[in-house]
Amino acid sequence: MNENAQTAQETDDNGSFYAKHKKVYPRQVHGLFASLRVTGVLVLLGLYYIVPWLQWDGHQAVLFDLPDRKFYIFDLIFWPQDFFYLAVLLIIAGLSLFFFTALAGRLWCGYACPQTVWTEVFLWIERKVEGDRNKQIKLDKAPMSRFKFSRKFLKHFIWITFSAWTGFTFVGYFTPILDLGVALYDLALGPWEWFWIVFYSFATYGNAGWMREQVCIYMCPYARFQSAMFDKDTLIISYDNERGEPRGSRKKKIDPKEKGLGDCVDCTLCVQVCPTGIDIRDGLQYQCIGCAACIDVCNEVMDKMGYERNLVKYTTENAIEGKKSHLLRPRVIIYLVILLAITAALIYSMATRIPLELDIIRDRNALYRTTSEGMIENIYTLKISNMDRIEHTYNITFDSDFTIKPILRKTQVTVASGKVANLSARIQADPLDLKSISQDIHITVKSLKNESLTVTEKGVFLGPVSR
Amino acid sequence: MDKATQDTPMIQKVIAVLWPSFLTSGVATILFFTAFDPQLIVSVSGYGEITRLGGYTIGFFLFWMLTSISCLLTCYFQRPCDPK
Ligand code: SF4
Ligand code: SF4
Repeated sequence: MNENAQTAQETDDNGSFYAKHKKVYPRQVHGLFASLRVTGVLVLLGLYYIVPWLQWDGHQAVLFDLPDRKFYIFDLIFWPQDFFYLAVLLIIAGLSLFFFTALAGRLWCGYACPQTVWTEVFLWIERKVEGDRNKQIKLDKAPMSRFKFSRKFLKHFIWITFSAWTGFTFVGYFTPILDLGVALYDLALGPWEWFWIVFYSFATYGNAGWMREQVCIYMCPYARFQSAMFDKDTLIISYDNERGEPRGSRKKKIDPKEKGLGDCVDCTLCVQVCPTGIDIRDGLQYQCIGCAACIDVCNEVMDKMGYERNLVKYTTENAIEGKKSHLLRPRVIIYLVILLAITAALIYSMATRIPLELDIIRDRNALYRTTSEGMIENIYTLKISNMDRIEHTYNITFDSDFTIKPILRKTQVTVASGKVANLSARIQADPLDLKSISQDIHITVKSLKNESLTVTEKGVFLGPVSR
Repeated sequence: MDKATQDTPMIQKVIAVLWPSFLTSGVATILFFTAFDPQLIVSVSGYGEITRLGGYTIGFFLFWMLTSISCLLTCYFQRPCDPK
């Protein structure tokens, strides 16, 4: 597809990790979109490396505590029972991706994808150590020497150090990072912590240092199906064929029209900056991650030549064909409506969520037993989970439409924040009162501090019917 | 099609097996361990003690092994039957 892009591409066979692959040396760009991306990188990575260190109300502000099976997000604590919220969150994330893709194409890929973000940092390090694009190509071509070795060594050393920090931070989202830091300092990490730190570091190093655009092209599922969300009004990056062709180099002074030339000076800079090594002038290609580097660089060229900007630009297929582009179209509106509805539902259900749970577990050994007084007795375990941030004392009450006599060691129980209390409860009933072999009972747990903190669960009472 | 499969570089085949299975086993791990606590499973089935993180990790790799096997079989069966 992009065979002719290679004409201008100085390439090298190094680092062919995946397919037959020529190493791409993206040239550095400056410009509006490059600044946007750098801002994106700084904000996202800044958040990534700082957030796990934040403390909140005596715990790590954002912690997906896998060892303890609890998720903390500032004031909220999530339990495995709250998996529903996580699922809804993932659905919202997926839908937003659909929405933004329909609207603005591969915005995600160009500015926010971790692959892009970390690759950007790795490229920056590479540039600092090995120099700009031409120097990198020269260095790779040169035979091994002291100088080459020292440059390569330094680059990989910095890459690996940075990756290790990344891996450590990653694990810090899943086990308390302060403890992790202390354990690391004492070299007393558990084997699994070691394993995941090394695993994630290696993934970062491999993906951002070696694989790069090949991840996008061969491995990313999103890259494969995003085109399904495109329509003729989706923002894409495109080269203005009409205006650019016939391309050709020229002196700055001449009038291109006289020579029968278009505005493209065939400087191939757009190819040199492209992180996936394609030529945008060949038309829309699935390898294009929409990073807009080619827009920035071509605008620079146009400025130098004194031509109008935007030979390469964000546009839509409709606009290219000279038709009107519609921002709000059924597809976008549908995505937006679904997205808003689900988000609203999630916010509502989170706001009204009761951070208290009661599980009634029947004794497994016997259906019921008959006491010496001739009463029928069922045994239950009540599991009361306090999912709130503060300690609560709960009152336990029983209700049923036949006469029962609950026997508990205590009818009030105090449960610390994030803990579970197990209570054994026996319930007795006169066999003469039983109307069927299985009848419902209701158990209510209510906080003394906060009356609205109440849950009622249904259990069954089993017994023989005396008739 | 068969020409394409033959021309695919080895490393691409390897990733075609390991990568999709990695993604699906990740999802499976999350779903499974949301419902079941590894510590409980291990202690109930009498395999001794394990840390939760260890349980998740082993579970993940078991899932990954299974999904890789099915990816591998898919790749295998995709080859043309005709031995020409
Ligand atoms: S950067 Fe612009 S002028 Fe240079 S080759 Fe690309 S499209 Fe043509
Ligand atoms: S063609 Fe342009 S926008 Fe697409 S990946 Fe290459 S540089 Fe980025």
